[in-house]
Amino acid sequence: MIIPHPLLGPRDAAEFVYLGDASLIARPDGLAPDAIDQFHSYTYLRDNPAGVHRELWYHEQGDRSWLVVTRNTLTHEILSAELARDVARAEGRSR
Amino acid sequence: MTQNSAQPGSKPQPNRLSHNGLIDQSRSLNFTWNGTQYQGHPGDTLASALLANGQRFVARSFKYHRPRGIFSAGPEEPSALVQLRSGAAQEPNTRATVAELFDGLTATSQNHRGSLEGDILALNDWLAPFLSAGFYYKTFMWPAAFWEKVYEPFIRASAGLGKLSMQADPDIYDHGYLHCDLLVIGAGPAGLIAALEAGRAGARVILADEDFRPGGRLNAETHAIDDAPGHAWATRAIAELASLDNVRLMTRTTVYGAFDHGVYGALERCTDHLPTSGGKPRQVLWRLYTKRALLCAGATERSIAFANNDRPGIMLAGAVRTYANRYGVTPGTRVAVLTNNDDGWRTAQDLQSAGVTVTALIDTRSGVSPPKNADRIETGCAVANTRGRRGLGQISLTNGAVIDADCLAVAGGWSPNVHLSSHQRGRPTWRDDIAAFVPGSELPQGMSVAGAANGTPTLAAAMAEAQTTTRALLQDLGHSATGADLPRASDEPASISAFWHVKAKGRAWVDLQNDVTAKDIYQSQKEAFRSVELLKRYTTLGMATDQGKTANVLGLAILAEAAGQTIPETGTTIFRPPYTPVPIGALAGRARGKDFRPYRLTPSHKWAEENGATFVETGPWMRAQWFARPGETGWRDSVDREVRMTRNSVGICDVTTLGKIDIQGRDAAEFLNHVYANGFAKLPVGKVRYGIMLREDGICYDDGTTARLSETHFVMTTTTVNAVAVFRNLEFARQCLWPDLDVHLISTTDGWAQYAVAGPNARALLSKVVDDLDLSNEAFPFMACTECTVFGGTPARLFRISFSGELAYEIAVPTRFGDSMIRALMEVGKEFDVTPYGTEALGVMRIEKGHFAGNELTGQTTAAMLGLGGMVSKKKDSIGLPLSQRSEMIRDDDLRLVGFHPVDKGIDLNAGAHFLTKGDPEDMAHDQGWMTSVAWSPELGHSIGLGFLKNGQNRMGETLRAFDPVRGKDTAVTVVSPHHIDPEGARQRG
Amino acid sequence: MAEIKLTAAPVLGTNLSIGTNTIQERDDLALVSIATPLDQDQDSQADLARALSAGWGLDLPAPTRASSAGDAHAIQTTADQMLLIFPHEGPDGNAVVQSKLDGAGYTTEQTDVWLVLEIAGPETLAALERLCPMDLRGVPDGTATRTVMEHMGALVLRHSAERFWLLTASSSAGSFLHAVEQSYRNVT
Repeated sequence: MIIPHPLLGPRDAAEFVYLGDASLIARPDGLAPDAIDQFHSYTYLRDNPAGVHRELWYHEQGDRSWLVVTRNTLTHEILSAELARDVARAEGRSR
Repeated sequence: MTQNSAQPGSKPQPNRLSHNGLIDQSRSLNFTWNGTQYQGHPGDTLASALLANGQRFVARSFKYHRPRGIFSAGPEEPSALVQLRSGAAQEPNTRATVAELFDGLTATSQNHRGSLEGDILALNDWLAPFLSAGFYYKTFMWPAAFWEKVYEPFIRASAGLGKLSMQADPDIYDHGYLHCDLLVIGAGPAGLIAALEAGRAGARVILADEDFRPGGRLNAETHAIDDAPGHAWATRAIAELASLDNVRLMTRTTVYGAFDHGVYGALERCTDHLPTSGGKPRQVLWRLYTKRALLCAGATERSIAFANNDRPGIMLAGAVRTYANRYGVTPGTRVAVLTNNDDGWRTAQDLQSAGVTVTALIDTRSGVSPPKNADRIETGCAVANTRGRRGLGQISLTNGAVIDADCLAVAGGWSPNVHLSSHQRGRPTWRDDIAAFVPGSELPQGMSVAGAANGTPTLAAAMAEAQTTTRALLQDLGHSATGADLPRASDEPASISAFWHVKAKGRAWVDLQNDVTAKDIYQSQKEAFRSVELLKRYTTLGMATDQGKTANVLGLAILAEAAGQTIPETGTTIFRPPYTPVPIGALAGRARGKDFRPYRLTPSHKWAEENGATFVETGPWMRAQWFARPGETGWRDSVDREVRMTRNSVGICDVTTLGKIDIQGRDAAEFLNHVYANGFAKLPVGKVRYGIMLREDGICYDDGTTARLSETHFVMTTTTVNAVAVFRNLEFARQCLWPDLDVHLISTTDGWAQYAVAGPNARALLSKVVDDLDLSNEAFPFMACTECTVFGGTPARLFRISFSGELAYEIAVPTRFGDSMIRALMEVGKEFDVTPYGTEALGVMRIEKGHFAGNELTGQTTAAMLGLGGMVSKKKDSIGLPLSQRSEMIRDDDLRLVGFHPVDKGIDLNAGAHFLTKGDPEDMAHDQGWMTSVAWSPELGHSIGLGFLKNGQNRMGETLRAFDPVRGKDTAVTVVSPHHIDPEGARQRG
Repeated sequence: MAEIKLTAAPVLGTNLSIGTNTIQERDDLALVSIATPLDQDQDSQADLARALSAGWGLDLPAPTRASSAGDAHAIQTTADQMLLIFPHEGPDGNAVVQSKLDGAGYTTEQTDVWLVLEIAGPETLAALERLCPMDLRGVPDGTATRTVMEHMGALVLRHSAERFWLLTASSSAGSFLHAVEQSYRNVT
């Protein structure tokens, strides 16, 4: 596969490491009173769609960017690739 | 007319047409077939040379060992599989039709016991009634005990075709990567037009063709282009393409697979046509990155099923033409032609004009008027049966006529080579007008199809389609075509009326490679294996090296006939890569032997080699395992000595392989608080702290130390094996979880040569090394760190940390000084009788000290199990904190890391043994834990162990069984503290 | 005992010819990574640009495009980090950079982390085609990017169609050189 890196252009997927569902960005607060329940869902429960999926890829043999790649798992069509840091900020994560 | 080759000293080639062909008949090449020497010419394939020499019978079929000949003239060949070369370079199952002839080629037939002619296994043909489709599913069912002893050995002995040399491949192979705007697959007329259009427009073009002579069917036909022979136009086109810098012409290159997003796989055969590869790669496996691809792969002819249609001499009609026109060979002296379409007529015409006797032209269609290029013309009838021993002699027609023929050219229609169009699951669609499947609407991303591959079989139309399609692609790519006119060519007649199967007594062969008959297909239908996919698996139709290139459509048509359905109703199989076989050696490329993967060497590697080191692979790293000295008789001698010398005086170990990550930023301390389970924010500058890292599920996966060099600068160490994973996780935390922390990471693992100096004399040794630094316990206590210089000015970093439990330091210098540093350390250490130690002694000392390592970090290990539950800070949010606090993971009676001594001190312990309370049954329900690490302790003088034991911290002094059924051992052990030596840590703090 | 001084060694000391091509280790360079501090007002970026320009005559690099002045190059390696390469002997490259940046970036000594191979000659692109998945033929001079070759991470800098720098981890330098050498031998 070819991943359209937002900074570097098209790159062979062989340069990347795959992690999984981009919902892993939405890490709950570890100090919340119900943290164990929230982290149970966060760590173990995932959708596994046959179709469009937002997923995390790490450009380990490139610029070390984590990317959020939106990909159709049936056709392998890639609909977008964004810097995960931008996605995280857009989702309200900060420090 | 058929003539003998007249060259002096060469044997006659009875079927050579001296005035035909695109071969160099002025030069002869010697080759050996089954031990007999023959001659061919440059430009021949092994198949054309065998035919020229009258060799029709060249193979035994897979299952029934029936005599088989050469069926085709290309990569689709199902029958003429041979072994090339000899010795280690022997290559089985090679298609004679694509093997280029070279001087000295040695080839043999395969799949027979005894000689080719006298194959004992031809007996199988008489057993055919018992070996029909699915026989192995039915025959080898019972008794069950027969499977291993009788059936499997029998099947294995009979299966397979050629034989492996059982020696290492003497050739080398390579991989490569190419990029282009447009990949043109196939250099026939359509592909050449496409490449010319795109090349002239300035696009980066790759034109790949599997043949050694580009031109496709232009080399095999007598078509004219611009009033000259088609092959001459092809030669001019190739010359023009070769002159363009932006065009890469790749002959002998098969594009074998279409992968995601415009990536194609191609196999280039660089030296297969030469006697030896001369030290260069024999084949290169290319990965092609393309913006667009145009599939111009042409079409493959198929046969017609009639009784005994597999005899040597029965061939595809287009192939017969190829042999006559391109290779100057007639496959027979009395040739008959059977056709269901206009194209078959050309075979009769071309042979007759070459002076070959055409005994009959049989057209299955009624009401057609073929040209009179044969002794007799029969229409509206077909071949009913054939006769001849080890080769064709006679055919009988459905109208009762009997005709002499030593070659029968069968024209069953052309199937577009849609294979690559369906590699991304696109399904071909049926076109009744040409009786063929064409590429469907769902093509791989960026692919278009033109010419015969697209169901546009005639010359002028194929070239026009290639031009139109290429121009559209160029526009997509932002190039403009030059607008050159198409060369003049015409469209030959190509009308077809589907005709598949002559129903008559006798076996009608559909798949020659797998010995599948029309009857097998009927049987499959009758036994309810009615989908095409099931048919394939039940009958093996379309399997093996040719993947049914000449058989699939015919088989499908007969399945439709059996089911009383149309072909589109019956379905189609799609194709997977590879289009033609790819040798394992090519797939492996350079990844063989010591080049299987890269090695990482430490800065002291050369010195260690000089000093008797035995090395061990730890991931990609080569680490010194121990340093043997003269007189030591085994590894234990060396390891015990290294431990003793270190604990008694001082030892040095290269610890460069530990991951080192430079962490800087205003928020670096806060970041470390998130990624380590214990606190780091308050670590003072000039201090080192030990930390553990958890996965988000609360499991401990790595540990190490981090030093603070300044308010904003930390240096983290990781374990050797987890360095990459930790770095990846840190980047994840930095970019995805806490994106607004000012923190920056970079690996410095390779930048520093780092040595552990351990033992009671470590301070004394290092005081001779470091410049102007007070190493006293007060000035530089346990867990201190500093930047300093050594040996009069070389920059260094010094950390007072200990893995051995001794007074110990780690000293790091820039890698360029690493070799010099180890030599210098050993030099100044002489007065202390310093020893280098390897990973084994390191392991012994960490077990003695009770430090956990990879053996203990199983992926199920919690901090609590390691006795470090208290380190997990609940005051800050760190990765893994919440789930590490689940009640089951922190229960007091869970597994705990403790130490073990054998009750009988003379017995060696074993890792992997499970603990049982005395008197309990030996089952998992009573399992109390397991031994993780063992070592022989030179200090204690007996074997010691570490292990996980339920409620272990409260069971000190208890005697248990260490039960090891795998090794047949059952040892009484006493539970002790994991800190076998110096439990108070006085040595490392002293 | 005679006073001991440590001596610096090149990673491999490679200097070889294959046909008319050459493979040579460049051990006359210092490599220092510079990370841009995270801030909202972009001051860091501007400070860094000024320091690079004053110190080495370099602009800030762009993704996949090195900024070059003579043998000094700045290559963007991550979204917020660059690698500065400049002629320098001795292990104190980081100190030199720190003194010129004056706090405008976080620097880390990288010289000994890397092997720098200069490869040159007419078969260079053909050799790289056996090694590197990136398109190095159809890109302009000054292209710089990190990728993977024979399982090893590598930074490529194209000086011209016949001259490249390949940077790779110093610990696996031997395996990497073998791969580069083999690539040339396979095409010459």
